[in-house]
Amino acid sequence: MTGTLILQGVASGLVTGSVYALIALSLVIVFKSTEVINFAGGEFVMLGAYVAMFFLVLLGLPYIIVVPVVALIVFCIGAAFDRVILDRVLGRHRPGQSIMVAMVIATVGLSFAFKGTVRLFRVSDNVRTLPPIFSTDPVFLGQVVLSRQDIAIFVIAVAVMVLLFSFFQFTKLGRALRATSENPRAATLVGIPVRRMRTLIWGIAAALSAVAGVLVAPKLLVSPDMGGVIILAFAAAIIGGFTNVLGVIVGGVVLGVIENLVGLFVSSKAIAIAPFIVIILILMVRPQGLFGGAAPIKKV
Amino acid sequence: MTIVRHTTKAAIIATAVALASNAQAFDPSAGTGKYTDPGITDKEIVIGLHAPLSGRLKGFGFDALYAAKAWYDMINKRGGVWGRKIRVIVADDKCSPTELVAVQKKFVTVDKVFLLHGGSCTHSAVAAQEYVTRNKVPYVMLNASGDSAVFPPTRYVFGAFGGSQRTVGGTIVDFAVRALKAKRIAYIAHDDNYGASNSAAGAFMAKKLGAEMVAVEKVSRKIVDVTAPVLKVRAARADVLIITTYTGPAALIVKKAHALGLKIPIVAAVQAVPIPALFAKNVGNPAAFTNFYYGSPLNDLTRGPKQQWIINMYKAAYPDRKPNPFMAYGVPSAQAVVYALMMAGPNPTRESFIDAMSKVNFNTGILAGPIELGEKKRDGHNASIFVKFDGKNHARMKGVYFNQYRGQN
Repeated sequence: MTGTLILQGVASGLVTGSVYALIALSLVIVFKSTEVINFAGGEFVMLGAYVAMFFLVLLGLPYIIVVPVVALIVFCIGAAFDRVILDRVLGRHRPGQSIMVAMVIATVGLSFAFKGTVRLFRVSDNVRTLPPIFSTDPVFLGQVVLSRQDIAIFVIAVAVMVLLFSFFQFTKLGRALRATSENPRAATLVGIPVRRMRTLIWGIAAALSAVAGVLVAPKLLVSPDMGGVIILAFAAAIIGGFTNVLGVIVGGVVLGVIENLVGLFVSSKAIAIAPFIVIILILMVRPQGLFGGAAPIKKV
Repeated sequence: MTIVRHTTKAAIIATAVALASNAQAFDPSAGTGKYTDPGITDKEIVIGLHAPLSGRLKGFGFDALYAAKAWYDMINKRGGVWGRKIRVIVADDKCSPTELVAVQKKFVTVDKVFLLHGGSCTHSAVAAQEYVTRNKVPYVMLNASGDSAVFPPTRYVFGAFGGSQRTVGGTIVDFAVRALKAKRIAYIAHDDNYGASNSAAGAFMAKKLGAEMVAVEKVSRKIVDVTAPVLKVRAARADVLIITTYTGPAALIVKKAHALGLKIPIVAAVQAVPIPALFAKNVGNPAAFTNFYYGSPLNDLTRGPKQQWIINMYKAAYPDRKPNPFMAYGVPSAQAVVYALMMAGPNPTRESFIDAMSKVNFNTGILAGPIELGEKKRDGHNASIFVKFDGKNHARMKGVYFNQYRGQN
């Protein structure tokens, strides 16, 4: 009986954790490239879910069209935020002053702006969901039960991560982005348009969050406050290491599983605090995260 | 004319309406012209009416407040109370504790109201307790359940006109045991004051009725993955699952219970299913509603025949608005205020109004049970009905179910 419970908890944790990992990835790629912690990451998730709701429910379009369209729209919003806001914040930066606080405040402001804007619409008055991607009927995998929807969420999340990994690893643009994030000054010297790359990163991160929003909507339900899930993404990033993409994925999955095991064997009440206890423990024992480490190339 | 016809019809079943319709029988010139308290003259009595009218919690209060106002307007059309018109001053409390207290201070010090009537959210309504008690101003909550403000009872605060969380927990277990014959109950609530209050009443009623609570799971309002609590419910081999969480987690739990093959009856509290059609959409699978029930403090389905008179009254007052399901919850407290003003006599003071409120006992024609207040009972309503819901169709179950928990062990 206990074995079945553990298996079930792990299986469900993998599904939830894969979505945490996706959101955490969006945080990490921005942080690696710009050294900005994006506190509006959760609101990009929320925005993705609401934009998807517009196309799925009001226009009746299928998921296969909606997901890329949502990613594109939110990509543009993320990129525009960098161009219109962050660029100006950076432009006013004087040598010797810390730019970090201003950048972080800009993302916090963006998160409030997104939430406030969504609340202007009546659709946000009640908690809602998106139409199911697949049926929520149970599927038995041995003694473990998942829904088709859960399996779809996991598969899509993993597929998006693989696509992202391939993009960064095997395409010219992806390599340029990595070069920008690892050493912007050296990247500039070899002719990479760093400013444009930074905008691209913000767009990709926003799009990634939006896709996560579409995936997490059936698990979290859609409301203006659903961006609060970003706290769990931060936890995932801290567990894995804020600078390690693979570590973040592992961190997300570990977090999803930990939540379930704590709920099963400690208390349902403890689910909410488990991520924070894990964060504190990781920061005490291994502040750089399980997979984080010193950057292989020192900045010039 | 439509309002009068409908409300007159309702008066047959509602003592409050009957009293209101008799208002003209009282002598309009009975007032002495000497009043010790502010907000009352020979011609009018002033009430400060507040609720969230903007912001994300507006849905809880907007229609409820305007329904209460429509009730006062109807009383005025019939001659008022003891010949006095009720003048209502409306303000937005945003469901924020600081805003609510600020609104009340303005009502009391600037507008000089006789009494305060408002509040749709417990956490903000509770914040008012200290101020109204210190200033000895009667405060009647609009539709907040307000457990922490009415338990333990204090002299100047009345609330829970739609039922407290004790009512929610007690009545839901009463239904599970008496109607569904449950012996082993699993219970999922929030890990906050709400959950503590309703689960304490639930546990008391289960013990009293000879049932056993085999699993009590307390979850965060922000829970994402409900696998663990649902698995524990399944492992406990319960024969009914009770859910008293808010609607978001409740939808996730119902969805997960179906996904994990849990086939026992599920009974959800009113806060879990505020809008049943939307709840069904959020769960997303009709098969999850094979054996599903939800509770309601009303005397009928939200749009059922017994609720029509109040819907008609609202529509007649505000023809351009479509009332949401919280609308009807605003009226019982307004009925209680009018009832107590009448019982307080032609020259009421704030203290005599409080004394009259303490004797309120009437059927609203809206709620499942009567509004009963007392010297040591400041929570208004203690009953629920239950509805079987298959995701589309609603069928009211027989009977009215009561909570007997009053904080005893």
